Amino acid sequence: MTPNGAFTLGFILIALGMAVPGPRGEAVLLVLTLAFAAIEVRGASLIALRRAAVVVLPLAAFMGVVWVGIVGESPYQIAAESAGTRAAALAYVATLCGRLFFIVAVIQLVFLRFAKLTPLQIIRALALPATVKRVLVITLSLIGTLRHAIDRAHIALIAAGTLTRSPSLRNIIHSWRLIQAVWLSAITIMVGRMRDKWPVENTIARLDDTLANANPAWFSGDDRIWLPLSLGAAVVILVADRIGGAL
Amino acid sequence: MARRELISGPNFSGRSGALMALLHDRTFAPESFYIGPYSEAALSGLSSTIADEIELYGAMATSFRRVPFSLLDVAAFSAREPQTLSGGEQVLLALHCFSLSGYEALAIDTALEQLDQANRDAALDYLDPRRKLVESVALIDNRLPPPVRGWTCRERSADTIDFACDPRRAVADLPRHQAPAIAIRGLGFAYRQGKEIFHAVDLALAGGAAYRLAGPNGAGKTTLLKLLVGVLAPGAGELKLGGEPYRPWRQGNRAIALATQNPDHQWCGATLRDDLARRRSAFARWVDPGLLADARMEALAAALGIHSLDARLYELPLAARKRLSWLWPLSGALPWVMFDEPSIGQDFDTRAQLAAAIGRLTALGYGVLFVTHDDDFASRIPHHVLVIGERQVKALPSPSGLQPPAASRDPRE
Repeated sequence: MTPNGAFTLGFILIALGMAVPGPRGEAVLLVLTLAFAAIEVRGASLIALRRAAVVVLPLAAFMGVVWVGIVGESPYQIAAESAGTRAAALAYVATLCGRLFFIVAVIQLVFLRFAKLTPLQIIRALALPATVKRVLVITLSLIGTLRHAIDRAHIALIAAGTLTRSPSLRNIIHSWRLIQAVWLSAITIMVGRMRDKWPVENTIARLDDTLANANPAWFSGDDRIWLPLSLGAAVVILVADRIGGAL
Repeated sequence: MARRELISGPNFSGRSGALMALLHDRTFAPESFYIGPYSEAALSGLSSTIADEIELYGAMATSFRRVPFSLLDVAAFSAREPQTLSGGEQVLLALHCFSLSGYEALAIDTALEQLDQANRDAALDYLDPRRKLVESVALIDNRLPPPVRGWTCRERSADTIDFACDPRRAVADLPRHQAPAIAIRGLGFAYRQGKEIFHAVDLALAGGAAYRLAGPNGAGKTTLLKLLVGVLAPGAGELKLGGEPYRPWRQGNRAIALATQNPDHQWCGATLRDDLARRRSAFARWVDPGLLADARMEALAAALGIHSLDARLYELPLAARKRLSWLWPLSGALPWVMFDEPSIGQDFDTRAQLAAAIGRLTALGYGVLFVTHDDDFASRIPHHVLVIGERQVKALPSPSGLQPPAASRDPRE
């Protein structure tokens, strides 16, 4: 399977999840997703589920407190000005968070399918214009720069006695100093890179050559099985709950 | 034609500018690979992993091939982020990437000063014109005094010295101090998804003494400093300060003034005044306020070449920022001072003066821990040697355990 095929499949799965199919459609969608996980990602699928849980559970807990605990009715009931129930609020939170869990898990599954490839190798393998690939590389670079700046700012503020490594009240009080230090560090890193390293090496032009030389095929190998299968499943998913007991 | 250009001279004599001018001279090379003093100028910044950094430069080469420079265990590190390497390892990675790339020329601005002696010797050997492995090289290196065989030496001089500094003046009026001992028992540490750096380390550091942390690039010297100031938390073991349990990662650092290898890893404000105000506020309970008074800090900054507390830290030249990074340790505010590669990028005179200032801190009763690969600099400070290797920190066995200061000899002579 190519990264192009996996990303296309991931896009189809997420789009179908967002299309809010009925219970039958959701069952078919789930089977398709589980088949992709079991065949293409295998054991690493558990990592995808764990990461999705880490992202969604805090939000679910917060929404549960707000909608079920405090408001006590679902937004649909509020809009309809009908009598609200906590059960309806719980169903609303579960549906929303379940959908988010599905989306995050699919994104993770797609990336874990290529866990053995480095980010640059994945980007080079994508059948996209060189400009788009360059934007992807530079976006990853910016994320890396910010992470590096956070690390620097932590070192500075912990060594200076302002913050502690472990969670503390001091960290909350001085969090704005951390933010300031992160931005100053990020700017310094970028300026250092753009003033000396990149102009001397003509790095960005060289990067363009590197990305343009890859010339990947759009789809190949298992893509030719997964993509028709997912498109066929999409039709089934979208119509399954509209034709009564046909399925 | 192979060219070797060694640009020498004191700090602020325009060496880096001369290097850049050379790189823009197309007769030197159409395009050059550049390795600057710190990670943002040594690595491309476009790679999320070390494998990507290598692939990026390797893929740039089309038909061009040269003997690879392979001192870094690339296979072991390939999935790590380049920024997680130590400073010396980053330079080794950059040299490896250059050797795979199609660039005809290499420019190095003081970066080789971060390498341990074995790696530095190997790098200089790789660049040796007689080996004919690299076409053209331009180099700034404070520890390579001209003349050097096979190299064209461009000596720079400065009529007026900007940022003139003398670190000895910064510690001239410091009162005596009695630093509490640091005891480390059973220390263990491993980076997440990385190798174990320390295992069951026992170490005793007495106040009023200087210790040099030695070891190869990537051994864990900076990691030990980070553990002591609380930037990292040990996986096992305990620290004691003056006989009392000390957990800086939880309680906050209150005893150690650290000058980091890259000065930009230590600023906590946009101006020197901001930076000092935050340190003053953090250490108010433990530090004599007289030591941190504005007038004294201004005098200290002037001794290090900066004449206003309102100087914008990030707008100063790198060598000036490096000097200013010594201000906090040299202020005497905290009983222990730690310097991570303080001599990098500094000319001979400044290194000698800094060594004298560190020696004076020790004599006054402060505890000093410093990391350096510069033997000449270290030899000017009476110190004990601690060697990091094989997950342990060992005091170097010697009859006295103390390295006497060498006779002050200028290697340029």
